[in-house]
Amino acid sequence: MPNDSSSPAPAAAPPVANGELLDPKLLAQLERLELVTRKIFRGRMKGERRSKRKGQSVEFADFRNYVAGDDLRQLDWNLYARLEKLIIKLFLEEEDLHFYALLDASLSMDFGEPSKLRYAKQLAAALAFVGLVRGDRVRIETLGQKPSARSPIYRGRHSAWRMVQQLEAIEAGEPAPLHEGVKNFCLRNHGKGIVVLISDLMDKQGYEAALRYFVAQEMDCYVIQVLSQEEINPDVKGDLKLVDCEDADVAEITASRPLLDRYERTLTAFTRGAQDFCTRRGMHYLLANTQTPVADLVAQQLRRRGLVR
Amino acid sequence: MIAVPLAIFALYFLKLKRQPLEVPSTYLWTKVIEDLHVNSLWQRLRQSLLLFLQLALVALAILALLRPGWEGERLDGAKFIFLVDNSASMSAADAEAGSRLAAAKQRIAALIDQLESDMSAMLISFADEPDVVQEFTNNKRLLREGLDRIQPTATATRVRGALELADGFANPGRITVESAGAEFDATEQDPVDLFILSDGRFGSVEGFSLGNLTPQYLPIGTFQARNLALTALSTGRNEVRPDEQQAFVQAANFSDEEQTVVIELNRDGALVDATEVTIPPGSTAGATFNLGVVDSGWLRASLTPPAGFNDALALDNAAYAVLDPQRDARVLLVTPGNPALEFALSTDRARRLAQVEKVDPSVLATDEYRNDALTDKYDLIIYDQCAPDEMPQANTLLIGRVPPTEEWQEGASAERAGVPQIIDWQRSHPLLNLVEMGNVLLVDSFTVKPPAGGLALIDSTAGPIAAIAPRDSYEDAVLGFEIVGADDEGMTINTNWPRMTSFPNFALNVLEYLAAGGADAPAQSTRPGQPVELTLRETRNDLSVVKPDGTSRPVEAPSRGKFIYNDADRPGVYELRSGSEVIRRFAVNLFDRQESDVALRGRQSDEETLPTVEALQIGYTEVAAASLQTPVRKELWKPLLLLALVILLVEWYIYNRRVYI
Repeated sequence: MPNDSSSPAPAAAPPVANGELLDPKLLAQLERLELVTRKIFRGRMKGERRSKRKGQSVEFADFRNYVAGDDLRQLDWNLYARLEKLIIKLFLEEEDLHFYALLDASLSMDFGEPSKLRYAKQLAAALAFVGLVRGDRVRIETLGQKPSARSPIYRGRHSAWRMVQQLEAIEAGEPAPLHEGVKNFCLRNHGKGIVVLISDLMDKQGYEAALRYFVAQEMDCYVIQVLSQEEINPDVKGDLKLVDCEDADVAEITASRPLLDRYERTLTAFTRGAQDFCTRRGMHYLLANTQTPVADLVAQQLRRRGLVR
Repeated sequence: MIAVPLAIFALYFLKLKRQPLEVPSTYLWTKVIEDLHVNSLWQRLRQSLLLFLQLALVALAILALLRPGWEGERLDGAKFIFLVDNSASMSAADAEAGSRLAAAKQRIAALIDQLESDMSAMLISFADEPDVVQEFTNNKRLLREGLDRIQPTATATRVRGALELADGFANPGRITVESAGAEFDATEQDPVDLFILSDGRFGSVEGFSLGNLTPQYLPIGTFQARNLALTALSTGRNEVRPDEQQAFVQAANFSDEEQTVVIELNRDGALVDATEVTIPPGSTAGATFNLGVVDSGWLRASLTPPAGFNDALALDNAAYAVLDPQRDARVLLVTPGNPALEFALSTDRARRLAQVEKVDPSVLATDEYRNDALTDKYDLIIYDQCAPDEMPQANTLLIGRVPPTEEWQEGASAERAGVPQIIDWQRSHPLLNLVEMGNVLLVDSFTVKPPAGGLALIDSTAGPIAAIAPRDSYEDAVLGFEIVGADDEGMTINTNWPRMTSFPNFALNVLEYLAAGGADAPAQSTRPGQPVELTLRETRNDLSVVKPDGTSRPVEAPSRGKFIYNDADRPGVYELRSGSEVIRRFAVNLFDRQESDVALRGRQSDEETLPTVEALQIGYTEVAAASLQTPVRKELWKPLLLLALVILLVEWYIYNRRVYI
């Protein structure tokens, strides 16, 4: 079990301009929510969730015949007394949920107003808070994290501020390819749970390889693609040399209406492609514009997709 | 110019300077461009298509600059003189462009277009007088403007003056530089190409050397041009009823077929009569109109060609004449007695022409005579056997005496030569018109040599015995021999001339030429462009001339009764007015068969071949005519430039649409 108390590096003060990651109004909204997963999962600790696993709780589930090796403590002695048969009484087990927020903190996320990374942090914080409130296990990771570096696990409402501090400490500029980051994440964390990948998916090698790693996981996967307004509706004019902020790749364009139309189509095709890709593989995809308030995104769009309820 | 496409090529390899802009990811952009690169062959083609278009554009522009063209004359040389005929016949409307002058202008404009910057050209128009329209210049605009200024005239063609003018410009006076005893010709003699654009309605130019002029004759017009013209309109007294006037009209037919025309005569704008005249081909026919008793007015005869006849020249279809109150010329005969002369001057015909007043030589000393002689009272004073002390303000005829002026005295012999035999006389001079002198015998005569500008009228074995010479605005005729003389025994007969029929003729010629000449001259017609000389009896102020087109122009008051008008350039009736009163009228008519015969003069060597245009004879040089069909040089540069423009548009379109394709 990871060490709960190993707190992350002291949080840097969040940019004033961007305000608090979680403002009280949002918190009040989030209090009412709860993370949902459709996958059968197994928590490490008893939680507030009813598990499909038969276990030790007060809620009766079923009976079954005793087979050798069963815990004798679970024998229903009343039935044995009446029927003289060894019957084991099964109870539903209540478990906790693993929630992972996987953030893309590459340079490209540092664009937009508010920046995509900021938006991603807010989103992660919101979802993590929902999890904390419901007693789930919450872990915040970034794609650039070393394979061995493990993030702390937060549990309980009282951990919220540490979780927020960890988020605040994340800075853009991690040189991490998408698939590398996802792969490392998957190596580090297995088991069941919910993973929310918040990224712009703008990886030259494509997102497909990265997302495929999730398929192998038993996790309930959510891919939230965050795009800034500049990407959705670029405002460019004239002959430009576009420089990629990550790898300094250059694309020379001459902005014209037809070119922008073509870009729009390409972008649509890209997001649509990602959505298709995710849907086919049982993952959930959501496109988030940084202009959409996080509260709306969580309370409406994610609720519609069944991540929260 | 080859550098331009190379420069474009080089520019193509220079990348467009683009504004750098940092973006989160070029991932999508690359995809966008990649999509375009899917048909990258197309793309490359499009790139090179633009290059190709630019190269084509420049190539076309260069080609246009090189001025490709075919057919027609191509100018080759450094200096050109264009002689443009703008005489009356050039108004003939048998060219495609309208008149021949317009056609000539078109051809010159085409030639001017071909001038290169190192060529210079000069423009001379000529009719009866040459006119330098534009001196040597390489400025095409000036040349074109000059060309526009050339207007058709109604005058005859005299190419000689134009040739001399061109020669003056082309062969500047030689300047010799004397250096160390040797003389060098310092003037540069550039060969000059001379283009003569004319219909060739003029005779050969005799005794003219072209020097370094290289002539080319570009004939304008057609062989088929046909024309009907009025070639004469004159008035005279009716032979039967002397107080009535008649008008004579002559019409000429310059076509291959007989033509019947209608000739109308108007007096003061009102129709007098009309008649139909049939004119044989290449010939003339006349018509006579009775005007009745008229004393003044003006006549306009007009010719209407038959329907369907394509009359090339409209200018000569009207003729004008002026009827002036007949005023008898006044002649003073100063003679001690000369029955033969007196008789000759008193015939009916002579009396119709002039009022002759006879006085004795003693009058010459009186103040009255002096006054009259100085005031222009007489048109002619005949001094028989006497001479004035001072020449009067009149024409004079001196018989047997020599005028007292130095010029005449110098040339005259001191002694009379005995029995001179007449060898020759100027039959063409109006004074000796129809005067036969061959049978005239003389006893003695002075020999007279006229001063400069004069003309010996009669030559004899002793020398000239009669002469005429101008003096200011008058003319002095001198007969060196007396008709009758006087010696101690009385009257002597000096010649048998009075017994010949030629004597009264001479007397009439004297009256017509010397006496009536001044008065009646305006009644005759003047050619357009020629000066009109009028004698005004009284001094008038506020003179103006009203032209046939109605424009009025003030003229300066004449000196000494003579008035010369130089601006009669169109046919018609001109009015000389003083204030609003019409003082005199004079008529100006073309009356030029050469100009009216508008068809090109052709030369046909045999039946088979087409006729060629007769060459021009200039001096000893025969200037062959260029082919009539010589087309105007066809130039390509305009379509080339248009095509270049189209390519530019296409390129612009492709450039703007280049994300597509």
